[in-house]
Amino acid sequence: MKIAYSHLVRHINDGPSIDELSNKLFQLGHEHEIENKIFDMEFTPNRGDCLSINGILRDLSVFYTINLDQDIYDEQISDLLINFENLSKEICPKISFLKIEVDKLPSLYKGALEEYFCDLSLSKNNFFTDVSNYLSYETGQPTHCYDSDSIKGKLTFQEHNGNKEFESLLGKKINLTEKNSVFLLNNEVINLAGIMGGLSTACSSDTTSVIIECAFFRPESVVGKSIKYGINSEAAHKFERGVDPECHERVLRRFVKIISEHANIINLELISHKYEESQLHQILIDVNKINKIIGININIDEYIEYLLRLGFLVKGNYIEVPSFRSDIKTQNDLAEEVARVIGYDNIPRSEIKIPANASKRNNIENKIRYFLLDHGFYEVINSPFVNVSSEYSIKVDNPLDSNRRFLRTNIINSLVDNLLFNERRQKDSVKLFEISDVYSTEGNLQKRRKLSIIASGRVGLNYQEFSTKISIKYLSTIFAEILPNITFDFKTISRDKLDTKLKSEIIYLEIDVEMLSDDVLHYVELSKPAKEFIQYKPISELPSSYKDISYLIRNYSKVEELQNLIFNFKDEILKDIFIFDYFKNDKKNEIKIGFRFIFQSKDETLTSSQIDKVLNDIVSMSLEISEIEIPGLN
Amino acid sequence: MSSSKDIILPELVKNLGALHPINHMKDSIMDLLVSFGFEIVNGPEIETEKFNFDMLNIKKSHPARQMHDTFYIENKSNLLRTHTSPVQIRGMLEKQPPLAFISGGKVYRKDDDATHLPMFHQVEGIYVDENVSFAELKDLIYKIIFSLFGEDIKLRFRPSYFPFTEPSAEVDILSKDGKWLEILGCGLVNPIVLDNCNIDSNKYSGLAFGLGVERIAMLKHGVKDIREFYKSNLDFLSQFK
Repeated sequence: MKIAYSHLVRHINDGPSIDELSNKLFQLGHEHEIENKIFDMEFTPNRGDCLSINGILRDLSVFYTINLDQDIYDEQISDLLINFENLSKEICPKISFLKIEVDKLPSLYKGALEEYFCDLSLSKNNFFTDVSNYLSYETGQPTHCYDSDSIKGKLTFQEHNGNKEFESLLGKKINLTEKNSVFLLNNEVINLAGIMGGLSTACSSDTTSVIIECAFFRPESVVGKSIKYGINSEAAHKFERGVDPECHERVLRRFVKIISEHANIINLELISHKYEESQLHQILIDVNKINKIIGININIDEYIEYLLRLGFLVKGNYIEVPSFRSDIKTQNDLAEEVARVIGYDNIPRSEIKIPANASKRNNIENKIRYFLLDHGFYEVINSPFVNVSSEYSIKVDNPLDSNRRFLRTNIINSLVDNLLFNERRQKDSVKLFEISDVYSTEGNLQKRRKLSIIASGRVGLNYQEFSTKISIKYLSTIFAEILPNITFDFKTISRDKLDTKLKSEIIYLEIDVEMLSDDVLHYVELSKPAKEFIQYKPISELPSSYKDISYLIRNYSKVEELQNLIFNFKDEILKDIFIFDYFKNDKKNEIKIGFRFIFQSKDETLTSSQIDKVLNDIVSMSLEISEIEIPGLN
Repeated sequence: MSSSKDIILPELVKNLGALHPINHMKDSIMDLLVSFGFEIVNGPEIETEKFNFDMLNIKKSHPARQMHDTFYIENKSNLLRTHTSPVQIRGMLEKQPPLAFISGGKVYRKDDDATHLPMFHQVEGIYVDENVSFAELKDLIYKIIFSLFGEDIKLRFRPSYFPFTEPSAEVDILSKDGKWLEILGCGLVNPIVLDNCNIDSNKYSGLAFGLGVERIAMLKHGVKDIREFYKSNLDFLSQFK
């Protein structure tokens, strides 16, 4: 909700700056942003009472002297005769109708009404609707204006169950279904109560006579309806969060006053229906309980003073909750009020002592994760939502889209997607794993915690593993290290039906975690979790390329010099370097050493000339080392 | 010419993998909380309305129930949990105070953009004993945030609203560029929730807190787009070792 700083501060005697006011609003729990001296407020759903100028000022009166100079019409108003029947009094226990007729519509707005539209850059509609909107902003109570001439016949309020057609005042045709609270005129829906009025009875720019409806609707009758019917309604936002049931008389008299400041009223009639007496909630005064909850030590006078400033009253041994605070029911609620006034940041810390326990994260699962890390596997996390179902798939009733209609019944399909994703990014050694709960309807609802691994391509990117391809034998051998007593059923996945031209074998394993035995606990891992949190460097989505250079070295002492030179070579497009080949031929007294250079840019797809330029620099520098050569180099 | 004994073999770079940064962050937070005395409890990701909402005082008619855009499954018979709080409800039903539980894991909400995903991770904690106060909650939250972000970090507590806590607070930290960033939600357990779990709210009180793991990981690692975590891109994952 947008509220202008100027609209608040003109009622505050102390005239706080916008920054000071902002700090106080945060202390009270009213989150906001500020742009051009407008507060964009985000109130918590329990504070419907704050959705207005007056509501915020009520809270700010904790800190400031508030001057609400909002005049109301205080003369007698004659009774309105209207053919109205309330068939759902439990939903709408209070309702008033005010009829106003003016002789001529104003050409200009004055005072707070004009400032409301001007300061918040709002579009005007028609006079009566504009006043209604302004009053909702000022008081928090939505009202609805019917063109008097359109209200002919019997007006009924009821919770209607069944299909009905309704055309909103914005011209949107809606098919109402199931239970809806509505106003009917001669059995036709003219107003979706608390949400939006209808087109047939709406005011126009020529309307000079209106019937204003001011009602209290139970929040439950409004909740969810604006979303269901796709109606953006500020009134619904307020009714859903609860409005003050006792404000109607004052709001309608304020309505009359604003109209009278702009036009000559020639007819004025009012009728109010109150079907139940309001009982204000009372809570026993218990300052010790409040001190215990918050962990402070205030005396009863301070306690009472804080609550009085917020509009609470003292009635004997009880605190009486004002009608606009429907969220206050318990001692804990009152404790929060007191804590807000003191300021959460001003409440001192009290040392917490939780009794120790010997809880630990799942050791077996953890050990297997570190074992996989040691063998070059990366842990991934995938979404459980998939578009293919199996016999036992769980169906999502309200999926985000048709591609996410089911919950996966295995992990491996996600890992295949992950593998192909990385292969398309020129990765020729991909080893991934995921541990996750997987749900199915097999039997009844079944949860299985699964470990799934997938691997394809080179075993590793170093000179010992570069030429070895990942195979079932390789994976079986490494798993035998940690779980010698279990035979794992590694399988291959055919690439025939996959969107890939690569040929390397894809191996996978998917097992229930409970199959892993305590043997894994003996494993001593190499990998350690990073102690410091790494600052991530944004990655490039552009393709990478590689180039290899193989050196022949006859003076063995030059091997280290060459490595130092190459590994210290830096260039913006040079992403990685590793030794993929190393061979020492004792008969010939020579060493062959092959380096792979990976190139990638953050900004552009690299051309061969860009890569060659860097490569030439490497070659030139390296050949300055004596007694090394690059076979085949012209 | 040097003899072969003089040769230093090129370093054999062992290609180690890496934990997923979200799991690593979740584990780090859980380990920290275990060191404070909390016990880990686990629960299902598929939940009932009773445990996900009703027991937590999130009434059907309450707007808070709309805030949790929920995925329902199998003709609304169950749902994907929208927070890890139901795990704590299950824990409280099994054990009487004093109790201190944490639960961490995946949660689901119907959301999908650069800052929200339909699946994300939470860690939540609850401590119930006699005379647990808001002042103790503040102490715990300071300890958690100081451990995660260092003792120089500035933080503020703001009143907020959760149906399962009262009083409720949100906690912000001051970023390097001078902006307050929301980091966690917390509060004293609403006595209604204790009563729902057959814990005498006249005798016991409790504190509870919840952190979004992705949010903390984004801040700690400087990741700007939450979706990066779930692309399974090796160029991304390999940075976290």
